[in-house]
Parts: sequence; C-alpha cells; structure tokens
Amino acid sequence: MTDERPQQRSELSVRVVDDEVIVLDRSANQVHQLNVTAAFIWRRCDGSHTAERIADEVASAFGVDGDTARDAVGVALRQFGQLGLLGLPRD
Amino acid sequence: VQLLTLDVLDRGVRIGCGDSAAWSLLSGTYGAMQGGRGRIELEYTVRPGGVSGSFRIERGTSEPLVASDDGVMLTLFDADLAVELQRLRRDLYFVHAAVLEYHDAAVMLVARSGGGKSTLSWALLHHGFRYLSDELGPVDLSTLDVLPYPRALMVKRMPPIPYPMTVGVQTSRGTHVPAESMPGDVRQTPAPLAAVFFLDHRPAAPTPSVERISPAAAAARLYANALNPLSHGGDGLDAAISIATARPCFELITANLAATCSVLTGALARIP
Repeated sequence: MTDERPQQRSELSVRVVDDEVIVLDRSANQVHQLNVTAAFIWRRCDGSHTAERIADEVASAFGVDGDTARDAVGVALRQFGQLGLLGLPRD
Repeated sequence: VQLLTLDVLDRGVRIGCGDSAAWSLLSGTYGAMQGGRGRIELEYTVRPGGVSGSFRIERGTSEPLVASDDGVMLTLFDADLAVELQRLRRDLYFVHAAVLEYHDAAVMLVARSGGGKSTLSWALLHHGFRYLSDELGPVDLSTLDVLPYPRALMVKRMPPIPYPMTVGVQTSRGTHVPAESMPGDVRQTPAPLAAVFFLDHRPAAPTPSVERISPAAAAARLYANALNPLSHGGDGLDAAISIATARPCFELITANLAATCSVLTGALARIP
C-alpha cells in the first residue's frame, strides 16, 4: 500500500444517510450509493489520511485483520478512482 | 377544431384537435383529466401533418413538433407536456414512475423505460389497486402525497394471461388503455405515499422476490429517476433523501406476473 493520500473531489455533493453515503457527481450526471464500509473509507478520503492509515482504521472499526482491511481499502479506492470521485492526491 | 380542456396537477391545459384522429388519440389518452374550471396555462394545437397519418404539435411560439404517425405524436406530446408541467409545478418532485392506490395510499413503481411498470400496473389493477398515474409520479414534498396523473396506460407488449388486455387503442408505439377503461377505479385526488418499489425486470427469474433496501440506496435510485431534481434545493438530492427516509422502499425482482403481484401485495401487508 502506497503513501497515497486520497482526496474527494471538492465539487461533489455528498450526503450521509444513516451509515451510508450518497455522492452526486453532476459533471458526470451520476449518483452513487456507498455502503457502510465504502462510506467509512470515503469519509477518510480527505487528503490527510494515507491509504495505510485508512486500512488501520477499517481493521479497528470492523474487527478484521490488516490484510483484509488493506484489500477492502484498495478495492474501494480503485473504484472511487475509476468513477472519477477522487481529486489529485497530495504529496 | 375540437377543444379538449384538462385540469392537470391543478393547472389548466387546453388542446385544440384539428381532426378526428387527433381528438380520438388525445381524448383517449388524457380524457380522465378533463376539467376546465381554472385559468388555462398551457395551450396546444394538434393538426394533421403534411403527410398522410402524420401530425403537427404546436405550443405557443415554440418550434412545432412533427410526428410521423399516431404513436410518435402521443410520445412527443406526452414528453412536451411533462416538461411543461415540471415548469408550471416546480414545487413538485417528479419521479418517472407509475403510481397506484391501495388501501387509500399510493404505491410507486419505479423502473427505467421498458422496465415493466405499466404491465405490472395493469396486472395489479386486477387485484384491488386503483389507478393514479403512469409515467409521472408527482410528489408534494410538504405532505409526501402523490398527485394523480391518470393518462392512458401504455404497454408495448400485450400482458400475458391471466391479465389479457381487451381494450385500448393501438398505435405504432403500443396499446394505450384509457383510464376509464381500466379494471380498477381511477383515483382523482392526491394519495399519501405508502411505499416505493424499484422494479428489476427479469423474465427468466424462476420466481419474483422483494427486498427492503436502505434509505441511501433508495434515495440514489429515486434521484436517478427524478425528472426535475434541479428545481429543488441541494440539487434535488435532499428531496430524494426525504422521501426515501420517510417511506419504506423495496427492490422488486419481477418475473411471472401473477406471482409478482402476490409478492408485492405481501410486502405491502407487512408494512406496519
């Protein structure tokens, strides 16, 4: 896992509904629903958390081992990236 | 010119029909909304086109719409009317849906075009449901009432037995059943929204099934099927969330029509 610090694109409309998140991307004319795990990861895509730190927090919050957490974070970040939801990572 | 005057979502609409074919099609489609008590806010004229069987739709100073045949005319007219109604009633949240009334409450069926909502509506009308609207589900966000829009129900393919369709007008786009010819009654007043079903049409599925979905999942789907979200605050997202959090929402995998009706009514019966 890299030192990448993923960051949400600032122009998205985001709403938290219960433990889940809805992301509206008007420029792509798409709306996304993030389940509890994805929402947890998404909320930490603030440009200050590294992917490794997010994985640690996932492991702690959901009671899973580090490898499982890293896999989940990796998959989620790849999907966020493919959907165009992340901005340029900070150094 | 024969005049058809409608009361649609509390707005007056007048349609001048230039020949008997236009009158027959438009009165058959929108006849259940005939009214005319109030001020006319929207005025159309539908005339024969230059080619036999074609039509020309005129509204104010807008560019006329030219339709090559009856089915295209109704499709173009319906789309234009829907857009104009969204302009006249910006306060309502318009969802692309069919809506029925069951036990005095509204049941919304949401699906993409061709997703089977009209066919399922037709079937449910044989099971004690009343007709409220097709294609437009206008929601009053202050009350979560759904307003009636009882235009003709249009199906592209004939429903299977035990729900044969023996009435209706055939056009190039499908069969249109006027509201007054439906097996169930027509509700002409707003009804409080009871539940939303998102249809996933899988004809090959062995059995239909229904599953309650989270408010976030429902809100995202509602938003994706909203016709005028940007007329509302928060890009329309907050309105979708307010509906989805206030009312139970389900994913309904449709298969055999009779069994699907049974699954849907069962889900409604389990709502407290």
